[in-house]
Amino acid sequence: MSHVAYREEPLELEADYVVVGSGAGGAAAAVVLARAGAEVAVVEAGAWRDPEDYPFSSYGTMRDLMDDWGGTVTRGRAFWPIVQARTVGGTTVINSAICVRTPGDIFRQWERDHGAGDLEEAVLRHQDRLEAELSVEEVPPDARGRSNELAAIGDASAGYGGHVMRRYVKGCLGSGQCLQGCTKRRKQSTNLNYLPEVLERGGHVVSCAPVKRILLAGNRATGVTGRFRHPGSGRRGAAFSVRARKAVLVAASATHSPALLQRSGVKSPALGELFRAHPGTGIFGCYDEPVDMNVGATQGWASTRFRSEPGTKLETLAIPLELVASRLSGGGRQLMRRLEEYRHICMWVHACRAESTGTVRNGLFDKPAVRYTLDRADMERFRIGMHLVGKWHFAAGAKAIIPGIHGMPYKLGPDQVDLLLEAPLDPRKYIAILSHLFGGCAMGADPKRSVCDPNGRVHGYDGLVVADASVIPTNLGVNPQHTIMALASVFAERLV
Amino acid sequence: MRWLIRSAICALYPGSDRLPSVEELELDRFLEQIRRESSTLFWTGVIVGALVFTISPILTVGIPLPSVLLGKEALDRHADRITAHRWYLVRQPVFLVKMVGGLAWGQHPKVRALNALPPYPPDPGTWRA
Repeated sequence: MSHVAYREEPLELEADYVVVGSGAGGAAAAVVLARAGAEVAVVEAGAWRDPEDYPFSSYGTMRDLMDDWGGTVTRGRAFWPIVQARTVGGTTVINSAICVRTPGDIFRQWERDHGAGDLEEAVLRHQDRLEAELSVEEVPPDARGRSNELAAIGDASAGYGGHVMRRYVKGCLGSGQCLQGCTKRRKQSTNLNYLPEVLERGGHVVSCAPVKRILLAGNRATGVTGRFRHPGSGRRGAAFSVRARKAVLVAASATHSPALLQRSGVKSPALGELFRAHPGTGIFGCYDEPVDMNVGATQGWASTRFRSEPGTKLETLAIPLELVASRLSGGGRQLMRRLEEYRHICMWVHACRAESTGTVRNGLFDKPAVRYTLDRADMERFRIGMHLVGKWHFAAGAKAIIPGIHGMPYKLGPDQVDLLLEAPLDPRKYIAILSHLFGGCAMGADPKRSVCDPNGRVHGYDGLVVADASVIPTNLGVNPQHTIMALASVFAERLV
Repeated sequence: MRWLIRSAICALYPGSDRLPSVEELELDRFLEQIRRESSTLFWTGVIVGALVFTISPILTVGIPLPSVLLGKEALDRHADRITAHRWYLVRQPVFLVKMVGGLAWGQHPKVRALNALPPYPPDPGTWRA
């Protein structure tokens, strides 16, 4: 077993399978291959940070765990940040580990619209396994914190049919540090379980190693190559080359996987197309009582009732104080007065099940360039989601809400909540982020409309598999980690 | 250009009766750290945001002076209005400066204590070698 980090001497390695990326998809695929007796090498752009190494502040998170300092933004009408990690364990280190099974209609849609059938039974079987292995459980009552309690109260009052979140978290202590990495080792990110298991089974993890290209011999993938990068200074280190005896699995994310395939010369008319996301934004509720939203689980309550109509998911989300400082609008003394309310506000969000599609291209300095703008129908859906969040807060007893929409009043009272239904349809008026990314290497039966077949194998190539969110050809409308892990497991299982 | 960034951040987070200003909270040390540790692209974006903040009082308070020459009241009005300017390409770069200032302000132990939060332990900045 071996873990190799940044080095200044060249590295040559060979394994049965090379997996690019160590997040939900990469780690899940790697452990399935390792359990089948294969020698696996996982190659990860970021450093391996154990919980003792995790930062506490948002600044440290941006520096140590985020991809490109969280600076990847969409290019389109608005610059919306794309939230992704760059560390061993990938985004499983910095998300809230929310576990939602793939909805049944998604399998039907994949089969009907993309010819990607024969997945449901296998995906659900792996989701059973993942839930057992990664200790999926509801957020315990004593870890929920007041924000999640209020969300439950508001949900019951508004009739949203919500529920306590189920997460890959074992014995949550409610430390409110999900987004910075759980230093208490409760969140079951893949750097704590599947990647160590890959090592124990004789595999390798090569960290600090951004892959420059997939090596191709004709139409066969034979390995990957790149240059180490120092996680502190960013200094370039020695070259590395990891050869694959059987196959290369690309699981570098919905932005990096299509970009990597493009710069490696992989030809597909669908490459980089069908990029989708759940754009989301939050609304603060203002309460008479102190809510102290950063005490308790970062996310603990959700409603999927509106997934199909109008197409949104509602969740609680506590962002750290230092991000609240820039998220509240205004500047100067006005902003300071608003910040005095911090203890009495909490953020709940909606994640829009947007139908708009974008593209991913390999950009300057090998950074993914994402073009993505919500169309009018999605913007209408987006503001309906905001309206639902606003009503939810008032149902929970909020005295006012802070929607954070440019051009609208800073606060809205209960009798003004319907103004959100007339909010602007211009995405530049909102402070939103893109989480839950899909597509770019979409799977399907038709090589003209898809990059991979329904087993993740790239059309027209041997030994080249994509095993992450980029294969997902549709928007799920629920948190995708469980689907990504199960799909990657299925693809790996079908390789051996 | 750090003085320019510093002046913009200080105007954005001047403090209140109950909350300290960012200037009182080791801002220089934080700016030195972020300049040293952040990517060139990120730091360039912060500089651009600070430049926009500095040259734009004519757009917000109608005074043809850089923000560093504004009086206290005018500067405060500018700091508030620039973050909500109707031109996206004006307010968006300033948002980056505001975010950096927010990081410096909100993570400081003094501010956290005033908001009933324990201090953050130091970020280790370590990894498995």
